[in-house]
Amino acid sequence: MRIIKYTTIFLITIQIVLGISFPLVAKPEHFWQFPIVIGLEEKIRNVIFHVPTAWTATIAFTMSLVYGFLYLQKKDFNYELKSIASAELGFLFCILATVTGAIWAKFNWGSFWNWDPRQTSIFILLMIYSAYFVLRSSISEKVKRARISSVYSILAGVTVPFFIFILPRITSGLHPGSKGDTEGAGPIVQFKMAPNMLTLFFIGLIGFTLLYFWIFNLRYRLLVLENKNESEE
Amino acid sequence: MDFFAQNQMYIVLSITLAIWIGVIFYLFKIEKKLNNLEKRN
Repeated sequence: MRIIKYTTIFLITIQIVLGISFPLVAKPEHFWQFPIVIGLEEKIRNVIFHVPTAWTATIAFTMSLVYGFLYLQKKDFNYELKSIASAELGFLFCILATVTGAIWAKFNWGSFWNWDPRQTSIFILLMIYSAYFVLRSSISEKVKRARISSVYSILAGVTVPFFIFILPRITSGLHPGSKGDTEGAGPIVQFKMAPNMLTLFFIGLIGFTLLYFWIFNLRYRLLVLENKNESEE
Repeated sequence: MDFFAQNQMYIVLSITLAIWIGVIFYLFKIEKKLNNLEKRN
């Protein structure tokens, strides 16, 4: 766990410091220069921060599905607790992706909310997982709650790849990578990531993934304690 | 909004801050739950 913590701090520090401090130039000659993209300018840096949040949400929801499945198979309550901890984090990062995306949308697309396919699909995902938490809190019997919420976490998890990866690619929209935009260049602004930015982007992805595992571990340990307390009472 | 459109670095700043405010808010929530648990025992 210690190595995860320190690597997270290290990678996210690199991501923030370099992502913000590398200057934008018309013709980059060194590895520490980003090219200027017409229409995005400084806003191009957002991609390093906004995308990892959505990525982490996807990982968290997938983990929630896996643990839900493991609970149903092994009937071990710890798996159910892991499933709920993961779904909570997925929900958090999903909200963060929505908020950061909305701020960016305001300055590139004109308004905070445009019902772009990706915005619509993340909105539906938020609804699906809100229902998961409501469902879980409405059942008081422990075994029944664990079983039903595990089944729901699998059903909800199955929809994630559809909403995150498939729907936004088969419909035309404002995001890069929509239908008819096979190179991911973007319909509003032409955009391809420079290699050094791509590296920093992946550093951010790994950093956020590890951050997820760190917080997930905290939340899971707390849930175990809460669960122990509940059974003693 | 004009200010942000002219000083785009602040958009990047607000996005980074939004992420960290969200994460820290969640950590505070976890801590509060832990405090309640400790008080009960």
